[in-house]
Parts: sequence; structure tokens; C-alpha cells
Amino acid sequence: MGHTVAQKIIARAAGRTTVEVGDYVTVAPDYTCAQELAWPLRQRFMAQVGVDRVARPERVVLVVDHTTSAAVGSNYHRNHREMAAWAAKWGVKNFFGAGSGLRHLVLAEQGYARPGLLVFSDEGNLSSIGALGALNIPVSWEVVMTMLGETNWLAVPPSARLRLEGAFGPGVLVRDLVQAINRDFAASGDLSQCCIEYSGPAIANLSIDDRQALCAASYHVGADTAIMPVDQRVLDYVTPRAKGREIIRFESDADAAWLLERTYRLDDLEPSVTVPPTMDGVVPVRAVAGRHIDQAIVGSCASNRLDDMRATATILRGRTVASHVKMYITPGSREVYAQSAREGLLTIFAEAGATVLAPGCSTCWGYEGALGPGEVLIGTHQHNYAGRNGSREAEVYLASPYVVAASAIAGRIVDPRELLAEESR
Amino acid sequence: MTTLLRGRAWVFGDNVNGDDGIIDFSRVPDLGAVDVPALKAMCFERIRPEFRAEVKAGDIVVGGRNFAIQNHMQAGVAIKACGIACVVVESCDSGFLRKSLNIGLPVVVCPGVSGIAVDGQDIEVDPATGRVSASGSGLTRSTRPWSPEMLAIWRSGGLVGFARTRFRGLPGGGA
Repeated sequence: MGHTVAQKIIARAAGRTTVEVGDYVTVAPDYTCAQELAWPLRQRFMAQVGVDRVARPERVVLVVDHTTSAAVGSNYHRNHREMAAWAAKWGVKNFFGAGSGLRHLVLAEQGYARPGLLVFSDEGNLSSIGALGALNIPVSWEVVMTMLGETNWLAVPPSARLRLEGAFGPGVLVRDLVQAINRDFAASGDLSQCCIEYSGPAIANLSIDDRQALCAASYHVGADTAIMPVDQRVLDYVTPRAKGREIIRFESDADAAWLLERTYRLDDLEPSVTVPPTMDGVVPVRAVAGRHIDQAIVGSCASNRLDDMRATATILRGRTVASHVKMYITPGSREVYAQSAREGLLTIFAEAGATVLAPGCSTCWGYEGALGPGEVLIGTHQHNYAGRNGSREAEVYLASPYVVAASAIAGRIVDPRELLAEESR
Repeated sequence: MTTLLRGRAWVFGDNVNGDDGIIDFSRVPDLGAVDVPALKAMCFERIRPEFRAEVKAGDIVVGGRNFAIQNHMQAGVAIKACGIACVVVESCDSGFLRKSLNIGLPVVVCPGVSGIAVDGQDIEVDPATGRVSASGSGLTRSTRPWSPEMLAIWRSGGLVGFARTRFRGLPGGGA
């Protein structure tokens, strides 16, 4: 029986020739990545254990991304200060302060996420790095274990193969594919604890941004992680950022075993909306068209990259956000922010009446843009459950940047294809 | 320490949300802190209102598919604070299992458990052998046993105790 990419990455990190699905193994991840919001709990853990050391400072990546500034009454200044001080004390040079961007983008842009590498992190959505052939294992507060020591345990996950064929039609973006997968699997449990390996000819035409979005959203089906094939586009992205550091190309064997296989034809997709409060509540946009909205948001680790900024600007260019709608746009990193400025996208956002927020997780978890009772948000966030963004009596609809931006203009949920057709006329 | 747990089952259905079901995320003001009394008070409040008043130390939670989907570590803290000895589920992500194990709350994934557990009746779970038996139905299911390291973390009461042993004697480690 052959082996999957996930097995091969884990075998390398375990110092073994092969590992089998279900094996409990001890691995030394190439990087361990953590954020600041829960940092006080990490510090408390270290104090309780009575350990003060860092085994391999060069393998630790710390990013301030959940709270880009400390509001009056919050403790966030403490988190920022304590994490920065700890990094300085132990010579952790891979420290990125407030406004640098999300861990997801920092790992990619700074060349930490490279093909064949294993990363332990505090969140499942960091499987975004699977787009670059690196495997994320989410371990929450156990990130401390591979900072203090070098190794930790994991159970080798089975892999499921989702094959992508065809190309997106007009008005359809990668978030519509994400929603189709969530519609089919978010409530089934079929992909629980697996690695989703995306494959198929359609991947060649997906940008690196789109691939990261797809991988970042894979955890909604209960999957632990996600991975994609390493093609020339990936190598072109990674190689200059790697600056000579190791790149290892793995491919799944032809006779590898799959937990499940499914094919998605991208041509079959249409603009869609995830209706609160569950992730499988996915409907075509026309089913909820006309729904009044109060807030429109483009951001989150699934949709805050340059492609998302460009898609949003395509709709907003020369138009104005409805007067009753608050629109927030969060570029995912300083690199995305700066490039958006160079391309004039920030001007388009400002002239349309949208507010650009500092690179970070921002509105996705209620740090900014909190909702009151009865308010309705449509956004590119990662979650739609009650209470995620403030009041439990608020509603959060999820959709692509096209749908969000078009809805912001209209002041209600609309199909973006009409506006896009105007663009091309 | 015996690894066999026996307790009264609280049986839940599929897709019990972690942040919006086990706890209420909108009432967790700081993810950098763990307010145990507050988390305990909100545990399963919306989906099983009688839980808090009737739960007894040593009871066992039986979950369906995707148990605790979308969870922060505070979900496991809430369940443990209520005195639950073990959680056994059809499926959940590895994150929930690890977060809970690390605070000393065993989570056992056992496909088929929903079909044998009876609410209010005793259920036996042994993470070391992977054997799950329900007295109400008289049926048994088997799942993959835990690794020695997982058992050691559990026996240590969670990751703090385990890490004290692991890092003892290392430079910067405890005495």
C-alpha cells in the first residue's frame, strides 16, 4: 500500500521511513507558530510547569494577529508586551508585532511555510499553508510543548481526496467552492480528523491566494488539516522566499489509500451564501436575495489576500456603499496592504465609503465590528454561529468577496453577476 | 490507576457546537483567561437546560458526529468543571481531543457509540483498551486504544503534570 503526502511529511518529521494511518508517532515539527490572544495562558502553563527555556528559537514563529491594538478596558497590551518580551528573552527572532498580518500570511510570505515541512500551530485554519505543500497540525495550547522541547505526539491522520475539475464561471470565486464542500461535509462527520488532499487539473488554474483560502477553510468539515500538490506555481512563490532553506517535494503514491474520494466540477458552482447558524446551511444567493444587511466585511484568514482585495475592488470601483451599511475591509498582511495601495485598491475602497482596518483577524472573531441584536452581517468570515460577532441575536451570512461587495452597494444581499456584467460591458 | 470509567450517560445528538452549544462564545470576554465558574454555569445551557442542575461527578457525556465542532479550549474546561469524567463521541476534531486531554478530561472517539448508549443509563469507557460498553443496551463497541503517551498525560492530570516530568532536569526545567 502506498503513502499519502501527509504520511510522508509526518514520517520525515518522525525520523522514520514510513508511517501508517493511525500510528501514534513522536515528531519534531519544523516550526511551531502561535498568536498572542491566548498568550497569557501559555505563560501561565510555563509557570505552572516551572520551565523557562526554548529548545530551538529558530523554529518558533510568534505573531500578534488577533488584537492589532489594545482598546481601553482590554488586557491586550499585556498580551503584546508579554509575548514580545518572551521572544526577546529567548532569542526568538521570528516575532511579528501588531499589524504584521495573520500567522497564515506571515508563514507564507516570510518563507516558513515550505513544501514538505511540518508545522504545529494553535489553530486549524492554519492549514492554509497546505497550499504551499506544508502540513499544519493544530494543537491549541500544546504549541508550548514544541517551544520548550523539540517534539510532540500526533496520530497519523487518514487522507481524503477531493478532486477539482473545470474552471469557475462568471461571478464565482473560491469561497463558493468552500461553501459547496461545507454544504456536503460540514455536518456529516465523514472527514473528521482527516487530512484533505486536494487534487485534479483545476488546481493548476487556482492562484496561490485561492489555494490558501481553500485550505484555510477545510477545518469546518472536522478535518484536522489540508494539503495540495506542489506545482511550478508553488515553487515560483516559495523559492525566493525560502532564501535557500529546505524545500522537499512529496507526492502521494498512486496506490495510496483514501478515506473518501469526491470530485467537484468548478463549472457547476454558482455564487452562494451560508445562512446562519451552521456551516452546512449553504444556498444559492438568489434564495436569500433581498435580505437587508447592516454590515459587510471582507477579511479573515480565508479571504484577506490580494486576490480578495482585487475582487472587492472590481465591484466597488466607481460605486458607493449603501448609506446604512458599515463596510470593513481587512488586508491580511502588510505585504497585501502595501500592494493594495500600489494598485490603487485602497483609494477605491475609501472612495466607495468602506473602512480599511489594520492587518489582523479583526472582525472575524468580534474584536472589531461587533453586532447588536437584530443586526445582519454578510462577510467572508470563517464562522456564522450565534454570538461569534457580538449579540446572539445578530445574524452572520458568509459569502465570497464578490457577493459581499455587491451586497454592500445594494444594502441587501444580491447576486454579484449583474454588477460584474456591467463591468465587462 | 485503573483506566476503566463507569458513569451515567448524558447522550447528545450530532453536531453539538463547541462555542455555541457547549459554551456561549459571546459570554467569554477574554480568550486569554479561563473563568471556570462562568464556563461551568453556561455548560450545555441552551441545548440541555437541566444538565447543570442534574449532572453528578463521574457522569459521562456521549456525543454524536462532529461533537464540539468549532471549539475553543474553554469548551472542555466547562465540561470538566461540571464533574464529567469522560466524553465519548462518534467523531470530533483532534483539537478538541487534545485540548481536553491536556486539562485531564479524556475524550474517546468511538464510532457507533450513539447507537448503544442510553441516556441516563450507565456506560463504561476504557481509553486504554478502547472498549465502550453500555449497560442500558447491553451492547459494546471497540475503538482504537490510546497511546501510552496519551495515557500518561491523563494519569498526570493533564499536560502540566506531564510536562513537569518530561522537562525535569533539563536546563531551564524544574527540579
